[in-house]
Amino acid sequence: MIKIAQLSCGTEYSSVQSEIEKAAFSVGGKMVYPDVGADDIDAAVKEFGFNPRSPQLKLMIARAVQLAKGVYDADAVFIATCFRCAEAALVRNELRRYIQEHTKLPVVTYSFTERMKSAQLLTRMEALVTIVSRKELLARERQTGLTAGLDSGSSTTKALVMKDNKIIGKAWMPSYDVVESATTVLNQALEQAGYKLKDLEAIGTTGYGRFTLGRHFDAKLVQEELTVNSKGAVWLADRQKGEATILDIGGMDNKAITVRDGVPDNFTMGGVCAGASGRFLEMTANRLKIDVTELGKLAEKGDWRNAKMNSYCSIFGIQDLVTSLGEGKAFEDVAAAACHSVAEQVYEQQLQEIDIRRPIIQVGGTSLISGLVKEVGSVLGEMPIVPPDSQYIGAVGGALLSSGFLM
Amino acid sequence: MKKIFIDPPNSMILFDIVERLGHEPLSTMAALQERVDNLEIDMPPMNVTLDDVISGLKYAGIEVPSGIRGRLATWGPHIDEADAAIVMAEAPYSFGCVGCERSNEMVKYLLRRRGIPVLWVEYPGDKEAAMRMLEKTKEFLGGLE
Amino acid sequence: MSENKPRMRETRLVMISPASNVTPDLLVRTAHALGRELSAKETCYGCLLEGDPATVAEARDELRKLDPHGIYSKRRAYPAGDPRRCRAQHGTRPGYAQLESEWKLLANLQNAMDAIDLGEKAPPEPQKKILPVREFKEIYEVNL
Repeated sequence: MIKIAQLSCGTEYSSVQSEIEKAAFSVGGKMVYPDVGADDIDAAVKEFGFNPRSPQLKLMIARAVQLAKGVYDADAVFIATCFRCAEAALVRNELRRYIQEHTKLPVVTYSFTERMKSAQLLTRMEALVTIVSRKELLARERQTGLTAGLDSGSSTTKALVMKDNKIIGKAWMPSYDVVESATTVLNQALEQAGYKLKDLEAIGTTGYGRFTLGRHFDAKLVQEELTVNSKGAVWLADRQKGEATILDIGGMDNKAITVRDGVPDNFTMGGVCAGASGRFLEMTANRLKIDVTELGKLAEKGDWRNAKMNSYCSIFGIQDLVTSLGEGKAFEDVAAAACHSVAEQVYEQQLQEIDIRRPIIQVGGTSLISGLVKEVGSVLGEMPIVPPDSQYIGAVGGALLSSGFLM
Repeated sequence: MKKIFIDPPNSMILFDIVERLGHEPLSTMAALQERVDNLEIDMPPMNVTLDDVISGLKYAGIEVPSGIRGRLATWGPHIDEADAAIVMAEAPYSFGCVGCERSNEMVKYLLRRRGIPVLWVEYPGDKEAAMRMLEKTKEFLGGLE
Repeated sequence: MSENKPRMRETRLVMISPASNVTPDLLVRTAHALGRELSAKETCYGCLLEGDPATVAEARDELRKLDPHGIYSKRRAYPAGDPRRCRAQHGTRPGYAQLESEWKLLANLQNAMDAIDLGEKAPPEPQKKILPVREFKEIYEVNL
């Protein structure tokens, strides 16, 4: 059992504690609470230097100090507080930073509402457990043999075939039936590579449909997308050593992952709504009657300042867009504003929960929208690296890691 | 015998004193026992459910964090039913269910708003302060009859 | 649940003041000696009683007789040994730190109760002093 230390406030009174425990249990983890005596609390708060009014937050601090001092032994850390609580949000983020500075434990933070269900936590918990339990596998930097990766995402399904650390076949398509989409793209990738399914020595699956695909293809590796994508991203960008931040603006949720030598140590995943995801850009493209692949080039020519847009919510975002078009704004400016708005939301919602490490590697299907990458660069003050085949990170990670199971 | 809401609602000292003086303390423990003993609910550890948190909207709006609404839903009915209350201010201990300072402030406000007699005592730092606290409590509870 | 069994359980946490000579072991023996349908479990701070509410109240009163001002109690939401609140399962729960803090206060309370019984009156509350501006001015003029 992987021991995940829980530092939290409000979980029991929000009816989410059992959901947290369920999620941890289903991936082979167990939530534990570092032992703290009454005397430890005041001393810990003093040492930490932030004195919140709420006693439970003081207790969180004391528990973090126990972990930092190595008095209490855990494998990973889960920090969670109520959504919309300002005091807790400050403590949550500063404790995350403190844990990262004082320990090598992987951390994930989360702010919950009463409606949070274990399924929402599953990928995060699985990633925490994977980082701890598959250390050696995650250290792998070269692909060997003939393997394939399948990435079953919410918007698109990707397949990629690798041989001796080289990509020899790849294909993608919009997702529909999980198995059918994957079969189609895998066959295309294999054809390109000049091999048959039976020739493959191992398959790795990731993404939302990973379990179904894992069973169907008898995959050697079935793993969540946080660790798999990280490996794929650093392999593609040739940044296997050192630090980096991986940014993946997805169709359904966004991921920001900080890595050290290709292994994640902190990540956030989510988004308040579709307003800050690739889905919003798709909606924008539809409204402009262009293909989403053309949106980036169009946006590059425009200036977002000419068409103010706030896509905190995709519905309001589209209203802004309609208003801008009604006012006769140029399509270029509207496209740029949509990209800028998504970049801004990602910055405000995801990137505040992690400490950005240079370089920033932007990946996933949306990294092909050049206008979005440009806006991410302008919001962050540094252009992200977009590696070749950046939409295939999950599939590359799957092919790379599954080769670790070969004899 | 009167029903006395105690704050902190999980305080052993207030619970014990109220009982010694012949009244019924209304505490978190009682509120939670109803939930804990309900075998039809499986939301460990406390069986505070989504419905509870939603019913907390009676006391605080949707923009208020879920943990506050869940707490208020747990204690609110006791505040509504109390004949009087004893509040210990500046208690250096208040963990667990009383871990959220916003909820704790709201409880005090709800007590004031109900207009029931409330005794405000200070956390006693020494024997003399404890004597004053006990005397005040005795007088307060005696006056309720 | 059968007709003869009590319909309600009460679990009560009994705590011994640090200034008392009573031991947890004595609490448990006294509770058992009542010969009632009651479970008593020794803990580091006192004991846990469990039974129907009337029996538990009776046991509480009996235990208090051992040291009227040195023994305190409150109800507990969870049955004794409930895995949802067991320390062995998860480590300490937040309520533990609270109990620890309250335990330290019990000696003050015990001494106060003893004093009141002896007819002592509590001295009036000391007034919080505010330094007159003139005095403060003198102090900082001397020190700066």
